[in-house]
Amino acid sequence: MANKPVFTNMETFMTEEKQRAPLTLQLDMASKPGESQPDRGYKIEFHDFSFYYGKFKALGKINMQIPRNQITAIIGPSGCGKSTLLRSINRMNDLVPNVRMEGQIILNGENIIGTSVDVVDVRRRVGMVFQRPNPFPKSIYDNVAYGPRLYGISHRLGLDEIVYSALRQTALWDEVKDKLHQSAMALSGGQQQRLCIARALAVEPEVILMDEPASALDPVATLKIEELMQTLKETYTIIIVTHNMQQAARVSDFTAFMMIDNPQTRTGVMVEYGLTTRIFTNPKNKQTEDYVTGRFG
Amino acid sequence: MARETFERQLQMILDHVLVLGSMVEQAVLDSLDALKRRDQAAARRIYDADLQINEKRYSIESGCITLIATQQPMARDVRFLAAILEIITELERIGDYAKGICKITQIISEEAIDPVLIYELQQMATLGLDMLRRALDAFVAGDATIARAIPMEDSKVDKLYNQVYHKLMEQMTVDISTIDRANHIMWAAHNLERMSDRVTNICERIIYVATGEMKELDTT
Repeated sequence: MANKPVFTNMETFMTEEKQRAPLTLQLDMASKPGESQPDRGYKIEFHDFSFYYGKFKALGKINMQIPRNQITAIIGPSGCGKSTLLRSINRMNDLVPNVRMEGQIILNGENIIGTSVDVVDVRRRVGMVFQRPNPFPKSIYDNVAYGPRLYGISHRLGLDEIVYSALRQTALWDEVKDKLHQSAMALSGGQQQRLCIARALAVEPEVILMDEPASALDPVATLKIEELMQTLKETYTIIIVTHNMQQAARVSDFTAFMMIDNPQTRTGVMVEYGLTTRIFTNPKNKQTEDYVTGRFG
Repeated sequence: MARETFERQLQMILDHVLVLGSMVEQAVLDSLDALKRRDQAAARRIYDADLQINEKRYSIESGCITLIATQQPMARDVRFLAAILEIITELERIGDYAKGICKITQIISEEAIDPVLIYELQQMATLGLDMLRRALDAFVAGDATIARAIPMEDSKVDKLYNQVYHKLMEQMTVDISTIDRANHIMWAAHNLERMSDRVTNICERIIYVATGEMKELDTT
């Protein structure tokens, strides 16, 4: 009986693992070969998705499925198309002149690429948080109420409910409940960023895109954002672009590693995508291994 | 983006693991030599020197923890450091087996031991230490194929152990006055048999570093 695996099948594995600590279960499950996505289904699917800025092909044939209620991190060296891929999910790239897209991005079973798509509705369903906190020069309350008002909610009680709920979801309520009508610009950087997340939540999105959401914040504010992400994923699907690999390893369930195909064309391609614990402990691809171990990039 | 400093630190840790391997190997050889010659002074010296093995193990462990905390190793690097934490524990335990044999030398003092038994114990040590040396070579080379092959030789050590065991049982049955001494020799043999089991554990970690697979190797 040579080289017998410790667990012969997933059922045995699960039965024995249930008797262990939850952390062990999580880690060991992640290291099983032939990993499969959770059966909760996919929120977003990319099918042969390519993206062009004029003649420059920024993304080449991206194929990936993003599971719902999970955090998916996109990592890779600068200029590999991470942010372009992220911004494609809420059609933010449409604001750049001469862009062109091929393939499909399926959001909840519906292709959001095409001229007939209601882009405003896509952006409501897919909220975005940027690198630098960008509150409007308005009060804390008005920042959060801005989106709902835009969508026609003007009733004070209804607005109050939305604003309070969004502030509670972002753990900001206790810090700002006594100064809701003071300027948002007076908040700390970390609070401003959580306010921006609250602003995104106020229009009841399904997906939250985060582009380096903590890179301008101090370690304590960063920790708060990371903890918040764990709470938010129970309700939302989160996709984060980060240069901080430790952050990707800490916060995400799935990780996608991107890089350019070659120095001449500089087209961003998906190199490897899988469970975060596997990507950071046992990546299959040599380029991923070199990147996560800091040997290039 | 080469991580030259980190690479150097990893290499340094590996070098120390190899030094620990050599210290342990020497301790096993010396302990058997002391037993063969019933050299009490040497046995005492080797027994005390186990402290250095323990210190070396803790120093490597501390180095690994520092690297994990300061360098955030990923992928193969984190597997490498995690494996080292296990490997040094196994090496230290082998050192404890040598220390155990020295203790036996001190207990049985001048009593006569069948030279054939001593020869068989030395053979067990030779086989076990050969497995250990090749395992550490495989670790340096990151060679999972060699690491998978080494534990297969554990059966040779087990065979010798069974030989020693039956011989001692026979002695004890024939002459009950030998029970004490025979038990002590059996203890030494058991230590040597466990040594090759520890090498199998080391091989499991080498495979983990090379492939990411965490599997129990079956040596039967």
